[in-house]
Amino acid sequence: MKQKSLFLGLMMGFTSLSVWAVGTENPTKPQAGSMPDNVSTIIEQRCFGCHNTDSKNDKAKEDLDFKTFDGLSTMKKMSSYNKIAEVLEKQEMPPQKFLEKFPDKNVTDEERTVLLEWAKNEAATLIKGN
Amino acid sequence: MRRVLQVIGIILVIGFVVLQFFQPGKNSGPPSGDDLFAARQVPDDVQQILRNSCYDCHSNQTRYLWYHRISPVSWMVNHHIEEGKHELNLSEWGRLDLYDQITILEEMAQEAKRKTMPLKSYLIMHPDAKLNAQQIETIEKWSSDLGEELLKKGAK
Repeated sequence: MKQKSLFLGLMMGFTSLSVWAVGTENPTKPQAGSMPDNVSTIIEQRCFGCHNTDSKNDKAKEDLDFKTFDGLSTMKKMSSYNKIAEVLEKQEMPPQKFLEKFPDKNVTDEERTVLLEWAKNEAATLIKGN
Repeated sequence: MRRVLQVIGIILVIGFVVLQFFQPGKNSGPPSGDDLFAARQVPDDVQQILRNSCYDCHSNQTRYLWYHRISPVSWMVNHHIEEGKHELNLSEWGRLDLYDQITILEEMAQEAKRKTMPLKSYLIMHPDAKLNAQQIETIEKWSSDLGEELLKKGAK
């Protein structure tokens, strides 16, 4: 009897923990300031795979993590937008090595233009509107 | 056989001597008004850290050691300096726009914190350039304070 209630208690505890865990689960989509749908779609397809908290690419997620982006200081956000614009302009992202393996995953010119404009605008808003 | 070795030895010595006549230019430009320390009031402790750990490769003022004048070491050192200055030249700080200044400050703090700078290859010959925990904290605080100040400047 005692064992049964202990088991039931454990089960209830486990269930409530699971519910709590689901409720606090990390976002599964990129979150960065005011991100229009067209921008978030591109980022989700082209960048999010490496630049998120659960990525296996440590360097990529250390440099930029779209899941935790909103929690950054204004200075770090501005720097990130500025760096995003820079790597897009220099065509350093997606990385060459990655594209050698997956040539069809490159950002199109149109997508690059959309992201560039977005990143530059966000950086300017943070500097001028701070 | 012995004679062959002697000839090779002589050729190597002559080659080494001839090589000394070919040296890269020195990275010791005149002090510039655009230098970080001229353009801004940087606290003494931060200046000391930056000069000791960053300025050799990230400015126009390298402190050369005696063997840096010996070719081919001189060429290798020159290559490192050129690469470093290409990434960041603190002697040209005043020419950067606000966006890049803030980004660089953020990157400096991050590199110090991750201990990715100074480079390990540099630390082998400059062990005193290694940043300790207190120095890293000083750099982080300074870069974040100055970054915030520049953000406010941008808003004006």
